[in-house]
Amino acid sequence: MVVLRAGLCPGLTEEMIQVLRANSVRTVVDFVSSDLEDVSQKCSLSYKALVAVRRVLLAQFSAFPANGADLYEELKSSTAILPTGSPSLDQLLDSGLYTGEVTELMGTPGSGKTQVCLSIAASVSLGLKQHVLFLDSTGGFTASRLYQMLRAQAEDEEEQLEALQRIQVARVFDVYEMLSALQEVRDRLSQQAVSCTGPLKTVVIDSVSAVIHPLLGGRQSEGLAIMMQLARELKMLAKEFSLAVVVTNQVTRDSSTGLLKPALGRSWSFVPSTRVLLESKGAAWEEATTRRSASLAKSPRQPTGMQVELDIGNSDVQEPSPATPTEGL
Amino acid sequence: TCAAFSLLARLEGRSSLKNLEPCLFAEEGSPVHGDVIEFHGPEGTGKTEMLYHLVARCIIPKSGGGLEVEVMFIDTDYHFDMLRLVTILEHRLVQSTEEMIKQCLGRLFLVNCSSSTQLLLTLYSLENMFCTHPSLCLLIVDSISAFYWIDRSNGGESLNLQEMNLKKCANFLEKLVREHHLALFATTQTIMQKSTSSAESFFPLKLQHEFDTDYRPYLCKSWQQMVTHRIFFSKQFNSGNSKGFTVVSCHLKKNNVVKRSFSIAECGVQF
Repeated sequence: MVVLRAGLCPGLTEEMIQVLRANSVRTVVDFVSSDLEDVSQKCSLSYKALVAVRRVLLAQFSAFPANGADLYEELKSSTAILPTGSPSLDQLLDSGLYTGEVTELMGTPGSGKTQVCLSIAASVSLGLKQHVLFLDSTGGFTASRLYQMLRAQAEDEEEQLEALQRIQVARVFDVYEMLSALQEVRDRLSQQAVSCTGPLKTVVIDSVSAVIHPLLGGRQSEGLAIMMQLARELKMLAKEFSLAVVVTNQVTRDSSTGLLKPALGRSWSFVPSTRVLLESKGAAWEEATTRRSASLAKSPRQPTGMQVELDIGNSDVQEPSPATPTEGL
Repeated sequence: TCAAFSLLARLEGRSSLKNLEPCLFAEEGSPVHGDVIEFHGPEGTGKTEMLYHLVARCIIPKSGGGLEVEVMFIDTDYHFDMLRLVTILEHRLVQSTEEMIKQCLGRLFLVNCSSSTQLLLTLYSLENMFCTHPSLCLLIVDSISAFYWIDRSNGGESLNLQEMNLKKCANFLEKLVREHHLALFATTQTIMQKSTSSAESFFPLKLQHEFDTDYRPYLCKSWQQMVTHRIFFSKQFNSGNSKGFTVVSCHLKKNNVVKRSFSIAECGVQF
């Protein structure tokens, strides 16, 4: 709600503001939605001057429509598809993570969400030589595990170190710290001359539920409002700067269908474009042969229900050796 | 105010929306200019895909079987997927060259709004565009419920304040639709649990078992009252049936209800 003040736009003088305020026109919305002929009479102000101010205020505060053809041109040159480090997961995602979108990884604790996040960070940093921002809200990020993955993918120590340097990790423990970190990224990217070719292409957030869950269930709308604000930040970041945003989330069981669904409720469910369910199969004690699967729960491009197998054992996220056949390849 | 000729041009195009997508409506001859159609449903039920289907129907030239009219798409949560629309166009055009695609896309206007205040101000500034583009007859808002929680939180304890912006948007949308002879399609998300009390049920008791919809109205009265058609989207869980999605379409003034199924393929919605 923007309040009218002198200098807000050319032509809006202090005298005008005073006389408008006396006639209940206090905000930009009040001004724009008023009958200007009426205001001109009541306030003894020039109708032409009021129309001019209205035009400038609208130009300043409203959003500007873009033509579909122009947008398409822009998207063609700025959209990239990033490999996750797991070919089967890439296949599930229709080649990989798409920039401009928010992709959600959901699963129970221990299903491999953090592992996949680390694999994505390693793959983008090492393979594409691009920067990654990793926001850790659970304390689950382990640099040693990341280094292990890098070591398995690149022999050269120099390369490994460079890759590590391209991954920026920030520990955030509540939603305000998270919003602040995202704002910082936005400011930094806004200052770059040509934003779509900047080095930062990926933002990984592990996890979103850790900072949002504590806010829900209390005074309902407050928590939901902050959650939707975070959702908006993430999507805006992805779209405006052509980033791939990856978030992790918990799961709950739907009471009527019995199926697993993402935590954080219905309003959140609309937010990501793509949603992958990570599941861990096999007994807990069989660490070495833990089979993890990924299934597509939501996608703008592919039919849902597809499932592939991920191999995240003691080694990094890699396809198993040819000797062991797998599904989904 | 608009020149008389642009009004005439728009009236001439009046019959064109009838063939937009007959399967979506309970009545023949819908939609007409002045209609306000609400798509309601939970996540993953095909609302956005249906919008792409309608956009494609509009922007494809008459020679390709489309309506050849312009569309204004207001995206309130950065949801619009251009690449998906292009894939749909590629499947539907006989000649899907870059040139043809761009020609179609040239009939689409997109705008992103980040708050209910910005939505209102944007509607005011778009008014001029409706004057200068006589073939712009479809207005889409996806979604109109996007700012619900944020507005509720900003409005504090007063329900009036909470709903103020959306009420103003609804009123102005009604004015735009009426004065410029548009058809408005808006999506609302199912974000509340279905009400268990039958008093709040959308359908009369006798129809409830037939059309069980997950609907609990939560947006302001101004919006509820201007809707002429409400279409409920749901997903069928037994995928033995190839048509995975359902629409229950209600013509509110005439009390007609119809239920249809559709599937979503690479080329988009198929009834």
